[in-house]
Formats: sequence, C-alpha cells, structure tokens
Amino acid sequence: MCSDLIAAIRSSDDAVSAAAWQSAGNHGSAAVGPLAELLSDPQAEIVRRGKRALYRIVRHAGRPGARGEAQAVERELLAALKHAGAGGRRELLWLLSEIGGPSAVGPIAALLADEAVREDARCALTRIPGRKATAALKAALKRSPADFRPALAESLRQRGVNVKGYPSRKLAPVAQTSVGPLPPR
Amino acid sequence: MSRVVTARGDGLTRRSFLKVTALAGGAVSFGLASPEVLGNPGRVGANQRLVIAHIGVGGMGMTHLANMMRFQQEGKVRVAAVCDVDDNRLEAAVENAGAGVTPYRDYRYVLERKDIDAVVIATPDHWHAVQTVHACQTGKHVYVEKPASVTVREGQAMVAAARANKVAVQVGAQARTAKGAWHTCRAIRNGIVGKVRRVSCWHYANPVDEKPVPDSPPPEGLDWDLWLGPLPWRPHNLRYQPAHFRWLMESGGGQIRDRGAHQFSTILWCMNADHQTSFTVEAKGRPPARGLWDCPVEMEVIYQFKDPDWTLEWGQPGNKVGQTEFGNVFWGDNGHLVLEWEGGYRPANPEAIHFKLPPGGQEVYRTDEYEDFNMNHKADWFKAIREGHLRPAVDIEIGHRTATLCNLGNLAYLLGRKLVWDGTRQEVVGDEQANRLLSRPQRYPYVL
Repeated sequence: MCSDLIAAIRSSDDAVSAAAWQSAGNHGSAAVGPLAELLSDPQAEIVRRGKRALYRIVRHAGRPGARGEAQAVERELLAALKHAGAGGRRELLWLLSEIGGPSAVGPIAALLADEAVREDARCALTRIPGRKATAALKAALKRSPADFRPALAESLRQRGVNVKGYPSRKLAPVAQTSVGPLPPR
Repeated sequence: MSRVVTARGDGLTRRSFLKVTALAGGAVSFGLASPEVLGNPGRVGANQRLVIAHIGVGGMGMTHLANMMRFQQEGKVRVAAVCDVDDNRLEAAVENAGAGVTPYRDYRYVLERKDIDAVVIATPDHWHAVQTVHACQTGKHVYVEKPASVTVREGQAMVAAARANKVAVQVGAQARTAKGAWHTCRAIRNGIVGKVRRVSCWHYANPVDEKPVPDSPPPEGLDWDLWLGPLPWRPHNLRYQPAHFRWLMESGGGQIRDRGAHQFSTILWCMNADHQTSFTVEAKGRPPARGLWDCPVEMEVIYQFKDPDWTLEWGQPGNKVGQTEFGNVFWGDNGHLVLEWEGGYRPANPEAIHFKLPPGGQEVYRTDEYEDFNMNHKADWFKAIREGHLRPAVDIEIGHRTATLCNLGNLAYLLGRKLVWDGTRQEVVGDEQANRLLSRPQRYPYVL
C-alpha cells in the first residue's frame, strides 16, 4: 500500500500526485518512513509532496481521541530523524513539535548539539508541553555553546522558568543598510 | 433622538467617553493638565507634531508613506525614518520621503530612537506581531497592517504589549473609519434587512505557483535573514517575496487572512459582534497541486456564533452576489444587503447610503476628517493618541479578534476538523494539537 502511495506521489501527473499526498492521512504511521525518505529527493516538487503528505498524517493522527495513532506516528518520525539529512531533520522536527510527547524529548534534545538544526530543535522543544522538555532545555543551557544560550534562555522564559543572565538580544540591532539619506537641500 | 454608538458599541461618543473617563479618574488618567497631553519625552502633546517612522516600505508601505507625507505637509507629523530589509525599496522610499529622513535596514535602530513617537508597520504578516510588540515595549504608538497576527498567541501578546505600555495600536483594516462600511453598519444595525442570521463572503481564488523555481541566492540588496525573521530558516526562493508571501500559510495565510481581515472586521462591526469571541469553525478547501505556495486555491469556512445565533461564511469563490471581485452579503429576515469589497475602496450599496435612521435608532460613530479612507484611518489613530484614550477604531483588541477568525479558519482547514473556540479562555476545546498550533515558536532573536 505504501509503495503505491509513494509511486503515486512521484507521478509526473499533478492530478495523480496531488490526490496521493492529500489522501496520505489515512495511511498512518506505516507511511511515515517511506515518505520521510522523499525529503532528501533531489527534486524540490517531490520533497514538497513528501512533506505535505507527512503533515496530513500528523494532523490526522493528532485528532482528539487518537493518542495511540499519534504515538505510533511519533515513533516513526523519531526513527526517520536518525537517517534524514539536515533539510529532512528540520521538517521532521517541526512535525514532531505538533504531536511529540515525552518520548520525543530525548531525541530532539540531542539535536540541540547539531548546529544545522539546533534552532529548529529548540523551537520543537519549546512547543512540546511538559516537564521533560523543560528539563531538556535547562540541561542544554548548561552545556551548549555560548552563542546558543540566549536562545535556550528565551525558550525557558517562555515556559515560565526564571533564568538568570543571558539578556535577550531581541531588541539589539545588527543589520546595516547601504542606502544613505538624501542630502539636505 | 438617536443614540450614538462608538466602535466599541458602548453608546458614547469618543469625546463623551473621554469626559466620563476623566471625571471618573480611573485607570486611564488624562486631562488638559496631564503630562501626556502637555507632552513629555516619549509622550505626545495635544498640539505637538508626531514623529513617525515607517517599517516596511513595499506596496502598501508606500501608500502609508504617501499618506504621511501629506500629513507632514499639513504640519501634523514629521517623517523621521524609513526602514526596509530590501535596499532597493528603501532607496525608493528615501527618494519619496526627502531630505532629513534616515534610512534603516534593521527596525531595531528605529526603536532605539527616543525622538520617534510612532511607527507604521507594513511588513509581511509574519513580522507584524514581533515588530508591534517591540515597538510597544519601546514606547511607540503603532499603526500595523492587517492581519494583526499569524497566530492567536501573537495577537494576545500584541494586546498585552499595547496595554502594558499605554500606547495606541491601530490595525490597518480601514473600513471602520470608511464611509462605505459606515453606511452599511448603521443600516444593518438599524434593521434595513431585519434580523441578520447569516453573512456570506465571496472572493476569487488564491493563485497557484504554476511554474515553481529552484531555490536561489537572494537578490542583491535583500537581507534574507531579516526578511525571514521569526520564520524557520530556509534558502531563498523567488516565490517567497516580494509580494508572494501572501500565498504561504506561514507568512501570508491566503486571502482569508488578507481580505478576510478587512471583511471580518467590517462584518463584526456591522453585526455589533465584537463581544462574540466564542464560535465553532469548520473549513474545507482544495490545496494547490504543485509549487511552493500552500494556501488552498478554493476554500469554504463556516463560523457559527451563539447568542445571538448567526453564521459567517467565507467562500472562495463563494456565492458571488455583487459585481466586484469580493464582498459580502448580510442575509436578513426581510431581505439582503450587499457590501462590495470591504466598504473602503468601494461605496456602500445605494440602499444603505439612502437609509434613514428610524426614530430611536442607533447612530454609529466614525472619525470623519478625510474623504480618503486611508488618510481617515490614520487620522483616527492620531486622534486616539492626542486625546489620550489610546483606543482607535480598530484597536489591537479588535484586530486580534478579527485575526483570530482568519487564523482559526486556516487552522481548521489545515487540521481537517471542526474546532470549538472558547474566546474567554482563548483555547480550542478538547484538541491538544490545535492548541499547540495557536502559537509557532519563533527563530531567535526574532521573538515576541
């Protein structure tokens, strides 16, 4: 079944491929791995279709009363996270942010040390509720490089944690324009 | 005698609202002798020229700048700065604004300036909340383009920032100060079609990215990192900007969040429904088959309000009743009334224009200083600042409620299920995933 889905998504006929990714929600966790592989496809359109199919699955599984389905999808997303390239990891992290629970926290927190996706991992942990995510952010604040700590402190503050030091840089301007003012008349 | 109803529907004129509040000596304190009115650093006196900066000087941003240059000619403001992440646009803005105006790429330089009283924000939607909150936190009054926000939590933060810092935040959904919507509002509120139980919107479809292009380096002069701001980082693609941001859910949200923000604001006003913050929402749509843009091409969203019961329908294409590209219809017990566009760029229906207020009917307040509704909306903002009540016609609370309709319509579409929105608790009832999606973590340091 999943191979049919993947073949249809790869179709050069827009009508076929669109119908396939739009119906992906019902394929559930079994389709997550094969779809995640599409995230590293050289064709941008295939990557987009794979991503949109994965969102269909995550949003179907995340419906009220379907926690078991959501957990199954979460497990597959975490498995895919181990093998994906940076672009794929980024997408998988945002997918996990929507349905991830305590079991997702460890693998996501591990990516706080991955410079290519650490900001996406921080965002995902910020969104996942619960003490485990807070604890992971606290631990990361202690061991992360200095340039990443203000961002982690921000996440913790958003979660109601009182963090000393690391003043916010949100109001600090950095970018200069090459455009000058008009001379006075 | 007709009773006058303000934009807040409280039965007072703005002037009498000010008198009542000043006499009561409550939380809002102002009067002829107050420091705010006389003018202290960071506060604008009644006869003082506001010092203005423009953040975002693309399409609509240039309209705002042109308006402000006219206000400057009239001696009401002084334009001190223009800001854009695209040097090409910035250069054009400097040319238009003239000598004495400082250009910036990074809006935070604008916020550092103590001499600037107020900012006009016309950046892509994903920047509205962050820049508004930061401007409020640095004591600036704000005029921000609609939609106010891209998530519910952003909207809440904007309201909180405006109140905490005692500044006026006007959202640029101009119809509540425009003549067309005003005629319609007073006619609907006074029963021109009887009791209204349904309002339907029509709008043409969102476009499809038929010819996707590969990612590419940003054009010279564009600061891509600053353009993305709070959004997750990704490579530049010509289908994001300059104006294409509208067709992506994360940055633009499609027409329901663009024109919808206008139309819903007008409809809530006409229906006297700003207080009806709870509703259910269901949505369906047809996503584009290809390309970078992900907003649905066609879309139908149904909102159900209770007590009083009425239904709001967003339709792309919807049931087109009028002649123009978009508009809405008030369906009443005794007929229907059409409002084309949002009541700003187009006049009201002649029936509404010629509507005579019945004895004991409710008059509706609107600022009426300029025929040009873009100018008039800004005049209303200035008035809120100068009079000190800080509640313009489309105060951020109203802008937030309107954007909540837009954002939850899109969320119901994305999740493919009905959402029950509790406006008091500001959460979706019984749907954890939906509640997570009421906010989107922002890329540091572009955070609220």
